[in-house]
Amino acid sequence: MELTRRQLLKMGLLSVCGTVIPISALEIFKPDALASLVHPFSKKKRWAFVVDTTKCMGCGMCAKACKLESDIPFDTEVQRTWVERYVQLKTGEVIIDSPRGARYGFTANDPQGRELKDEDVTKGFFVPKLCNHCEKPSCVQVCPVGATYKTDDGVVLVDRKWCIGCGYCITNCPYFARFFHPIYNVADKCTFCYQRITKGLNTACSDACAFGVRKIGKLYDPDSEVFKIITTQRVAVLKPEFGNEPHVFYLGLDDIVK
Amino acid sequence: MSHAWRPVIVVIGVIVFILGMRMILVPGDFKAKNGDYKYQWHRVSSEEFWKNFPVKHKGREFCKQCHPDKIEKVADSGHKNVQCENCHAQFNPEKKGHPINLKEDFGYLLDIGIDRSRELCKRCHAKLEYRPNLYFMFAKGPSTFHMIDPTKHNPGIECVTCHDVHRTGFK
Repeated sequence: MELTRRQLLKMGLLSVCGTVIPISALEIFKPDALASLVHPFSKKKRWAFVVDTTKCMGCGMCAKACKLESDIPFDTEVQRTWVERYVQLKTGEVIIDSPRGARYGFTANDPQGRELKDEDVTKGFFVPKLCNHCEKPSCVQVCPVGATYKTDDGVVLVDRKWCIGCGYCITNCPYFARFFHPIYNVADKCTFCYQRITKGLNTACSDACAFGVRKIGKLYDPDSEVFKIITTQRVAVLKPEFGNEPHVFYLGLDDIVK
Repeated sequence: MSHAWRPVIVVIGVIVFILGMRMILVPGDFKAKNGDYKYQWHRVSSEEFWKNFPVKHKGREFCKQCHPDKIEKVADSGHKNVQCENCHAQFNPEKKGHPINLKEDFGYLLDIGIDRSRELCKRCHAKLEYRPNLYFMFAKGPSTFHMIDPTKHNPGIECVTCHDVHRTGFK
């Protein structure tokens, strides 16, 4: 075959273009992928969580209930959900603390053990934290043995029998939601109380919350409270820049929240 | 047979050995659900493990079986949204104790007891400058939330000396 210079340039350019278009750019042709960008209106089975920080009193009953429910020895320093306190002083300084994961609650104005006068504080609030059950969980991607995974309904779980305890997932979670279980010595994390939500119950933490801060619900169910809040109110997620697509939505976040 | 075939046989032997060991060691239900090797590559039976994890907090309905009077009393009070287990589930060995062995008789796994300490009440009712002072969960709309300064409000005395926590009033 004779190859002219024109043909060579043409075909060369075409093959270069073909190799540089990433496969992901073609995802716009997949309706499923498009739908998942607009999460609440997707028909995909998915659990989601809403935390209304404006109502949180910092009683820490959620942390206590979680720890008892999930069978993690109470006086160990790890837990699946915790509450953080953010106090900003008039000097601009931000003090963040979570004494013992807030499982004994916040009972005095002493962030980080410092005695604060009420008039020095410009604002303060409590932010409950838990596993964000990301759509693209970075902890799952790094597991070398397939011991952590996302279920069909979007809950990220750990296989206790299969985990080798290497700790990659623990360091790779941007939300610090994972830890080593003190008894089984495997990675452990919030399961959205999978044993409860699959039986139609609430999670232990949202049951324990007397203030209506925590809500679990089906993102694909237009009648659920979670769907209504996410679709009609101003919600935000933590650390969206990581691209994990977290599914714990917060009302009343502030830019001092880390 | 030519000597050149010997390494080929060794390589085939190694491959067969690895595949055989893989069949023995990897559980049969280990698979990538929906073809998703990135996020759903796992032992499927592990999902059942988490579904069958024991439910421990059984809520008011469980307590109601023996204490309907207390449940009614609380349901009529300011504490109606507070679960029994918030205050009665104990982690402190000294405060444990329920007259009936709930674990054996009812399969209820939490330790139940009575905690009369100020610390328990302070978790919600200690006044903090930044603690929200409105309560939104009642049907009548937002109402003020009662908070006290624990250093000035009768320090040293248990709250239950004067307050009935189930009725949310004075004794």
